[in-house]
Amino acid sequence: MRAGATPDDGLPLVIAAAGAGGLRLTAVNPAAAALGLRRGEPLGRVRARLSTPPHVHPADPAADAAAFARLCLWAQRYTPSVVPFGPAEACDGLYLDVTGADHLMGGADKLVADLAARLARAGIPARIAVADTPGAAFALARHGREEMACVPSDETEQILRPLPVEALRCEPAVAVALKRLGLRRIGALLDAPRPPLARRFGEALLLRLDQATGRRPEPLSPISEPVRYGAARGFLDPVGSQEIVVATARRLMAEIAPRLEADGLGARGVRLSLHRVDDVVRALDLGLSEPSRCPDHVARLLQLRLERLGSGLDAGFGFETVRLDVAATGPMPGRQAALDTGPVPPGARIAGLADALRQRFGRPVIRLSPRASHVPERADRIAPWRTESRHTEPWRVERVVLHWPDPDAGIGPRPLVLFDRGEAAEDVIALVAEGPPRRFRWRSRLHRIAHAEGPERIAPEWWRETGIPRDYYVVECESGRRLWLYRDGPNLPERPAAWFVHGLFA
Amino acid sequence: MKPSRDEPEERPPSPAERIAALRVRLDAERRPDVGGVLPFGVADLDVRLPGGGLGLGLLHEIAPEGAGDEASALGFVLALVARHLARAAGDALLVVAPGHPIPYGHGLVGLGLDPGRLLLLEAEADAAVFGALEDTLRAGQLAAVAGLVADGLPLKPGRRLQLAAGSFGTAPPLLLILRPFRAALPNGAATRWRIAAGGAARDRFGCTLRPRWRARLDRCRNGRPGDWLLEWDHAAHRFDLPDGLARRAPDACGGYAG
Repeated sequence: MRAGATPDDGLPLVIAAAGAGGLRLTAVNPAAAALGLRRGEPLGRVRARLSTPPHVHPADPAADAAAFARLCLWAQRYTPSVVPFGPAEACDGLYLDVTGADHLMGGADKLVADLAARLARAGIPARIAVADTPGAAFALARHGREEMACVPSDETEQILRPLPVEALRCEPAVAVALKRLGLRRIGALLDAPRPPLARRFGEALLLRLDQATGRRPEPLSPISEPVRYGAARGFLDPVGSQEIVVATARRLMAEIAPRLEADGLGARGVRLSLHRVDDVVRALDLGLSEPSRCPDHVARLLQLRLERLGSGLDAGFGFETVRLDVAATGPMPGRQAALDTGPVPPGARIAGLADALRQRFGRPVIRLSPRASHVPERADRIAPWRTESRHTEPWRVERVVLHWPDPDAGIGPRPLVLFDRGEAAEDVIALVAEGPPRRFRWRSRLHRIAHAEGPERIAPEWWRETGIPRDYYVVECESGRRLWLYRDGPNLPERPAAWFVHGLFA
Repeated sequence: MKPSRDEPEERPPSPAERIAALRVRLDAERRPDVGGVLPFGVADLDVRLPGGGLGLGLLHEIAPEGAGDEASALGFVLALVARHLARAAGDALLVVAPGHPIPYGHGLVGLGLDPGRLLLLEAEADAAVFGALEDTLRAGQLAAVAGLVADGLPLKPGRRLQLAAGSFGTAPPLLLILRPFRAALPNGAATRWRIAAGGAARDRFGCTLRPRWRARLDRCRNGRPGDWLLEWDHAAHRFDLPDGLARRAPDACGGYAG
């Protein structure tokens, strides 16, 4: 089972990766398969054989593994025990243990049909088989005749008999040796005397054979369910008052906190769902600047939020269920509580304040952070305010930390207020064509220039767009105000340059 | 009741003694109500302020002198914040009402204020600015808070802010309000400033060295108003009076070009 990286547009497409003796195909799409291309073929031979070579993509094993892991998680919609194929199965498929879960979909047949339909909709070609044992299911899915098969309980052995011996998940060398002996089908293997087989090929072949027929059990280790942190409380009598909702949320958080603590995590986002008696669900999302497990903190933020909502939170006839889920977590190492309250790190206290302001006024607290660009309007950005968590997440690969450049270290002066776009200056009169203006009109007021500094030429980012370099001047009006003015390119007779005010100095 | 004959030294104090007693009383009154002060570092200016600087935990109102001086007034506010942050630990919060710009990060660096220590909050209206400032003051975790309001500072929010700022005895924050130039309302501000652009200080090659502001102290409780041409040194976080050798002669009490 594999998902193509590009949409299947009918053109031959292959994926190649370094293998024995150079690049080899690891996957082919149907159009390429129609040309006779097979997995494992050297790419050089393919290029020599075909007049129009297929489109080749390099393999990306990491992305494949990630996509496959996502698929495994998705498959948990059918059953909680999902097992990805191991190395013996070439790691490209998954088992679903549907025992006791198939009736939820109305039987194994309907489950297979539903699975196939959903996979087809997602563009994932798949072969599906349902059998008593994982071994038999693997053999059928890989080497059976139909794309979808559902084997009745007592026919496992009959179905397996005509399949080739590779279907047993044995090593390729063993399969080749078996074929040399004339044992091409599993049926022949079943009829053959066991002791010579064990002597010649070892216990592994017989183990696989017995696992396929169900004579010996095959333990599977399903992927673990992603951990969720949440708690809910139902009320016999619907509640409507804000105090009760907040108190309940506080209790729920206190319930969740030990679980978070055991995993060394703190909540970065919390969602409170309020289920009204008339089946309307109100959800409130709280974001936290710093991972927290403190019930009081969550309760206080919630209180602020509810106060801001006021009557916007329509309680109707009351809420019958209050549910608190941790929507996002962050690492939060345990901190030893000191006997005295001690100095709380200032970042933690400010995080509490930032969260409170955000819940109260509905706007996040922000800060300015530098960006790697020399174009003035792109050289800073607004980022949500967060505590520096670099030391608490040592495993996370941090991006390069940018610093604000030293204002005295070479770059020209920068204004205190920068407009998003330059505002046009009109009626510009300059003494020399290439020089700074003597006076101009901006915001319907005439500005006479007493002093000008510049130009500082700032070119557009060459990797982004082609544009005209701007010539920046710091001009001081006769009133003493200083403005940042730029001319849009050189002043040519056929194209008089336009002037713009881009910023104000303090 | 007849005065006792045992106290013949009951005589009016000499003028020198009276002046000394008045000095002591004046000094006591000049000391700000709470916390310390943020001195400008300019002797001529600091002697006019009670306690020798801007009182911490008191409300200070700053306004541009006229239309077009808004950036200068903002620069003066941020320079004060930068000066305080250089002397005290902690961060600063700037609450911005609509109509005021968010300052440019590189410009802040150029004023000597580390943008990493400045929290910004864009408020929906003046009421939200006052609410956020009051909450922050009551939380008592920041070294400086400044509000940029769109309609001026009325009396009631001013009093509330003053109460919130004064409720912390140990390390009161610097509290500044920047209002538009028109909206002069009565409020409980300890000092009121009007700031106009002053033309930059230049070196002998004509390059900009430092920003200058014409700062007028309109009103000052227990102090004396005055006006000065102030220069801001972003590296040393210090205000200065321009020296006589600068290209533009200082006219500290002169008229305004605004």
